[in-house]
Amino acid sequence: MEGVIFSIQRFSIHDGPGIRTTVFLKGCSLHCFWCHNPEGIRPKPDLQFFPDRCIACNECVRVCQHGASILVDGVMVYDREKCIACGECVDTCYSGARVLAGKTMTVDAVMAEVLQDRAFYETSKGGVTLSGGEPVLQAAFSYELLRRCKAEGIHTAIETCGNVRWEDEERMLQVTDLIMMDIKHMDSAKHRWATGAPNERILAAARKFAATDKPIIFRIPVIPTVNDTVEEVTAIANFVHELVAIRNAAGGDGEHTISLELLPFHRLAGDKYRSLDIDYRARDLKTPTKEHMMMLTEAAQACAIEARSR
Amino acid sequence: MIGISEAQELTYDQRIDALRATKMRITQEKQQIIGSMNHDDWGLILPPADRREIVQTMSASGMPITDALIAGFQVQSNHPSGGFFGPKAVGANYRALLEQHPVYIDPVSSLAGGYMANFMSYRKPHWNPDLDFSFLHADQQKYGLGSGIGAAQHFCHDLTIGFQLGWGGLLNKIRRYREVQQSTVTDQALLAQKLDFYDGLESIVLGMQNWIQRTADEARAMNKSESNPQRRENLEALADINTRLVTEPPKTFREACQWMNWYQMAARMFNGNGALGRLDVLLQPYYERDSALGILDDEEAIFHLACFLVRNTDYIQLGGPDENGKDTTTRLSFLALEAAHRLKIPANIGVCVGDEVDPDLLRRGVEIMFEDKCATPKFLGIDRTTEGFMRNGYTSEVARTRAYSGCHWSAIPGREYTLNDCVKINFGKVFEAALQEMMSDASLQPSTETLFTLYARHLRRAVATIAQGLDYHMEHYHQVFPELFLDLLCYGTIEKGLDASHGGVEYYNLCVDGSALATVTDSFAALEQRIDRQKRMTWHEIVRHLDENWAGADGEKARLMMKSIPRYGSGGSRADEWAVRLSDLFTKIVKEKPTPNGFNMIPGLFSWANTIPMGKELGATPNGRRAGEPISHGANPDPGYRKDGAPTAMAVAIATVQPGYGNTAPMQMELDPGITKDEGGVDHIVDLIKTHFDLGGTQINLNIMDAEQVLEAHKDPSKYPDLVVRVTGFSAYFASLSPDFRQLVVDRILTEG
Repeated sequence: MEGVIFSIQRFSIHDGPGIRTTVFLKGCSLHCFWCHNPEGIRPKPDLQFFPDRCIACNECVRVCQHGASILVDGVMVYDREKCIACGECVDTCYSGARVLAGKTMTVDAVMAEVLQDRAFYETSKGGVTLSGGEPVLQAAFSYELLRRCKAEGIHTAIETCGNVRWEDEERMLQVTDLIMMDIKHMDSAKHRWATGAPNERILAAARKFAATDKPIIFRIPVIPTVNDTVEEVTAIANFVHELVAIRNAAGGDGEHTISLELLPFHRLAGDKYRSLDIDYRARDLKTPTKEHMMMLTEAAQACAIEARSR
Repeated sequence: MIGISEAQELTYDQRIDALRATKMRITQEKQQIIGSMNHDDWGLILPPADRREIVQTMSASGMPITDALIAGFQVQSNHPSGGFFGPKAVGANYRALLEQHPVYIDPVSSLAGGYMANFMSYRKPHWNPDLDFSFLHADQQKYGLGSGIGAAQHFCHDLTIGFQLGWGGLLNKIRRYREVQQSTVTDQALLAQKLDFYDGLESIVLGMQNWIQRTADEARAMNKSESNPQRRENLEALADINTRLVTEPPKTFREACQWMNWYQMAARMFNGNGALGRLDVLLQPYYERDSALGILDDEEAIFHLACFLVRNTDYIQLGGPDENGKDTTTRLSFLALEAAHRLKIPANIGVCVGDEVDPDLLRRGVEIMFEDKCATPKFLGIDRTTEGFMRNGYTSEVARTRAYSGCHWSAIPGREYTLNDCVKINFGKVFEAALQEMMSDASLQPSTETLFTLYARHLRRAVATIAQGLDYHMEHYHQVFPELFLDLLCYGTIEKGLDASHGGVEYYNLCVDGSALATVTDSFAALEQRIDRQKRMTWHEIVRHLDENWAGADGEKARLMMKSIPRYGSGGSRADEWAVRLSDLFTKIVKEKPTPNGFNMIPGLFSWANTIPMGKELGATPNGRRAGEPISHGANPDPGYRKDGAPTAMAVAIATVQPGYGNTAPMQMELDPGITKDEGGVDHIVDLIKTHFDLGGTQINLNIMDAEQVLEAHKDPSKYPDLVVRVTGFSAYFASLSPDFRQLVVDRILTEG
């Protein structure tokens, strides 16, 4: 079975407990304008081009059979419209100016990489996290990958936005130990403005997750102009508080298995946007200050839930 | 003592602050006067301005250095070359230096003394020209060998002997065994040799007694004119303690620290010795005794240790199994860490990590590493080095007594001679010779496999040359510059009248390190992928590019092509397989047989700071490295080995290339300080360290460095005078390093892509 992966990060220490390997799956059902991984949005491979690294060897021109890289007055010109991201040129681009975001990999190939850090997972109580993009969009592949991890005794986590078919999320639950989910806004219209999709399906998924016994961490990216006010964070925190109640009513321990984490916006993805010729609409946003994050964290804690910030 | 009034009584912490400030002032003075110091930050103090002479010379590790001598002191030569050779001359000259050595007392410190010179710098020439080993030169040069011939120290003495005997007891021991030999040895030539040896030993003890007595007298004189009551009391104690220590063994914790201070300083001054061993075990009886008597509390103990560490950057082991496997970690182990933590200066303290070792020691070590960012401590995979050493045929009891005592190495205190870190093979030069042979022999069909076969042949020859050189050293070193100072605290040397390098001790296990592993590994993998498999280049083309140093037609493209393969450290790649293959080959060849004279050799992978000079003598290599650039660092993959720079990937890779005979292949790791701010950051690093050792790793040198800060400091070192980095096995002030050494550190934290 094959999936499209755009990155595998070992020694990942921010995506769940312990030392982990995070597998980033390509394709997302949201289009958040600040996305830190814009190369993960489209389901198919993307060609990233970093002109600063180009040494003008013109090897790409030689190998391109689609007219996407041509010489104009002796200078290489890249036409993304014509590019099918076949990767032929990437293989000969030794300077690393061309990078293919998205590679088709078998479950076996991903497992081979994942297993290299197995000893670290065991010592640190870490494991494997599927992220993206939206890993549940490649449901069959993700399920199989997680199943294989579980069969190896490895702790598993998924980072999902919830904007997928519930049947697919539900299937993941059989092979996932930890759910990490992000809620960007409680107002559906504003949610649609910020991410391209309304939030009803997402909130419904959150409620359904709450009715299970899987630990959930709600990870909220704090984005100026989107959700960085006390009111907006409080609204999300109140919703999480409701979920705690749902879990408790189902006989679970909501207080200790559902928590919220606030992650400040950062602007490190600018290069990636340029490499993909995508307009980076968040370029002028500022990273929230520590003090501001602290204030929002306290507001969330005031809703009687476990909340922290990075 | 700026900002502190004359009459004020200082707390221990204030006194440590004052020690650090003095150290910083001395360091900056050294930076100005002798310039770059590309070695560990010795506690050396410059001689007073009117007694100072600046010279160009050679360090104990064989690196060219600028050094300060004590003006007016001249050695007596006993050879037409102008040098002085043999135990008697060496002892007499060292005694003369000790007797003329200026006295240094910092009235804030609880320990007196400071050393101001490297005796090695008076040795001109270093080697007796009558002893000719030019028959080895051609191959030594061809394979870039650090032969170890003429290398000093790099094994470990046992301070227990000194603690038990004191200088007076040592003197009696020397005289007693001289008489024993005189009455038992009948061969007159042999007896004459032994008597010379005893003369040398006796001279250095007498020199030490003179230096200590003069220091005690000076403390007494300073006490008389001192107005501050606390300092006056301190000086009086220093006068009393040191008067006693001229002859008597130490009784209290403070006296033991003072005795150790004298010995370690003088051993460092004698031949660069930085070995110390198990500080916590050595001092434990004194700590227990004084604590039980109620005359020592932990704060005072920390202070004495800090006073010692400010003068001595020796290599220290904390915790770890005793000979029966019982962990030796004690409260004192933590106090020693605490002393380094409060000082925040370069230090070379290793904490043991192992199945039976107190896990809190590792945790505390990582916490201090996070808080101070001074690259202290380092981490020792004690179970792996112990098991490894046993594979040389030693029992677990013997193997466990090996103590960490130098950059990447251990030795059995007082019982083992090792030449650790002194013997190097530049795999890059071996590779170069193999490639040259393959391309110049028309009967050979070039291929990566053919190249590997030739590489193996040249490596075997390089190891054979090393083995011959080791035998030559073992035959002659005692005639040139015997280990006298370390002989004092060994078992068998005084008794037998033999230098440690010449049969005086029980065990001989000689270290042979390979260097440039990643350089050669990635070269093999690149040739295999680009030429053999993908046929994107021919053998003649790659040779042209190497000859042209990638500067000819399409050179840069070719360089990047060779460089952009999955490299050693990327995980599961062909290069990772090549690394294991090359390390296994090296281990197999070194372990095939002992030297012709029967000395056991132990393989390791460590380049020390020789990555720069070894790189300078190596042409361009097929991994995309340009001629003259540094070779890869120890067993490390080259920076940029993975896009995510995952330290777990590095840890797995380095664990797989361990030679596994008790000599190490350390992991040099640089982490961003961001991790220190994370919740659970300490846990992650503790787990990373433990797992590397579980997988087979032997030692970790760790820096937590802010890339931006290091870059700024590289541009203007004076901005961050107190920035401490672990360059390799040793740590140093970043500002004390030369630009190319600073670049080495910078390159490691800047990954490409």
